[in-house]
Amino acid sequence: MSMPFYVSPEQLIKDRAEFAQKGIARGRSIIAAIYDPGVVLVAENPSASLNKISEVYDRIAFAGVGKYNEFDRLREAGIRWADGTGYTYAREDVDARALANYYAQHVGDMFTEGQKPLEIEILVAQLANKVRPTKLYRIAYEGTISDEQMFAVLGGEAETIKERFAASETKILNLKDTLKNAVNALAGPDRTIPAGDLEVALLEDRGQRRTFVRLSDDEVTALLG
Amino acid sequence: MGLPLFSVGDDPGPSFLKYVADSGLVDESLYSANDSAHATTVVALRYANGVVLVGDRQATSSYIASRDVRKIEAADRFTAIAISGSAARGMEFIRMAQLSFEHYEKMTGTALSLEGKANYLSPMIQRNNLTTPLLVLPMLAGWDTNHLVGRVFEYDGAGGCYEREDFVAIGSGSPFAEGALRLGFRENMTRDEAIELAALSVYEAGDNDPSTGGPDFVRGLYPIIVVVDESGFSELPVDDVAQTFNAINERRTQQRGRAGSTLR
Repeated sequence: MSMPFYVSPEQLIKDRAEFAQKGIARGRSIIAAIYDPGVVLVAENPSASLNKISEVYDRIAFAGVGKYNEFDRLREAGIRWADGTGYTYAREDVDARALANYYAQHVGDMFTEGQKPLEIEILVAQLANKVRPTKLYRIAYEGTISDEQMFAVLGGEAETIKERFAASETKILNLKDTLKNAVNALAGPDRTIPAGDLEVALLEDRGQRRTFVRLSDDEVTALLG
Repeated sequence: MGLPLFSVGDDPGPSFLKYVADSGLVDESLYSANDSAHATTVVALRYANGVVLVGDRQATSSYIASRDVRKIEAADRFTAIAISGSAARGMEFIRMAQLSFEHYEKMTGTALSLEGKANYLSPMIQRNNLTTPLLVLPMLAGWDTNHLVGRVFEYDGAGGCYEREDFVAIGSGSPFAEGALRLGFRENMTRDEAIELAALSVYEAGDNDPSTGGPDFVRGLYPIIVVVDESGFSELPVDDVAQTFNAINERRTQQRGRAGSTLR
């Protein structure tokens, strides 16, 4: 008769965290930053069709790093939740904080109870309106939710990129400068990222209900030029 | 409502309709026939560079229930949807269509084709009309961004979807509107010609059908006029609409309301 191995809870959590971190570190990072007057999301993503950034609702965007199939499933669930809530109540009742909490609960549950933890980090961004402030909620692989000020960085190299970006972005700037700083921070001192390998989207008021807009390669090139 | 996650086998995909049905957000068994206000007469016609829609504003039960109902709405930037039949179900129908098209676009990252949107309404009509006595008949018209033409679609009560080459008229006033449209329609009309003909056809319907509201000069309420072209959905400002209907009314007044007036 074989004895079951004893694994201490500390060891279990540590192993799971290491596993998730490894998975996340394989992909490229994302920066989300508040600019005057909106939110910009910048991802290094050579694919033009498999998006890391997405529209969720009128004033809410989603970004994910790590395993594509895992965060895309959460993206879809977020859109369903938002459209369902707006349909049941009113469009103005759809709040990013509620969605971020649901995400955090699910990701946290998967971390402790799932077959394996999700190898992802996600972000829920909300553009301010009359009743709600602009917010960046980051949800880590173990379900920790953090309310980030000014900007958030997701991905394996988050700490390095965060330092680089914080050094150049000391206050809220316009879109052009914020985007430049974000791209430089993602690239680092030794390389440049071509516009074709960038995925950039904004939440910005343009007099329409839906505030999410993707920028084309040409628009990104013009802003970086 | 928690986070709506589905296993791969149960996933409703990008269809909002399937999602709300699966998740129980909509319960069809609760519909009753107590509310019988109905909405009537919307026309859509193709012209050289798009489509023009005109819809009256009246909701009617045994009396006039409302004089300022909006029966034409933007389903998305390039698509107009209009309803006739039960006002209550029709408004819900428009809401569901708007949400569904947006939901699909966000889920998949691409907008549905105009034909895809037209087909999407079929099962909605079928489901509604077979499960409730509150009949809704919509129409869909818009600018096809894939093929760069204006297109109009009508439906029958069982959900059949039919594309028309020229025009569509729905609602109880449609026989009268259709008479004017049949005589006045020309291929490749200009935008202004199309607006004038569509407005005239709704004027005719309002004149003959008790459930259709014509221009209300006393209250300053006029039928809605919408154009959808390559720049998208746009509603005519009320002053332009007033002018269009004033011109028609002027001609009719000179004829003292007798038959024999010119179409334009």
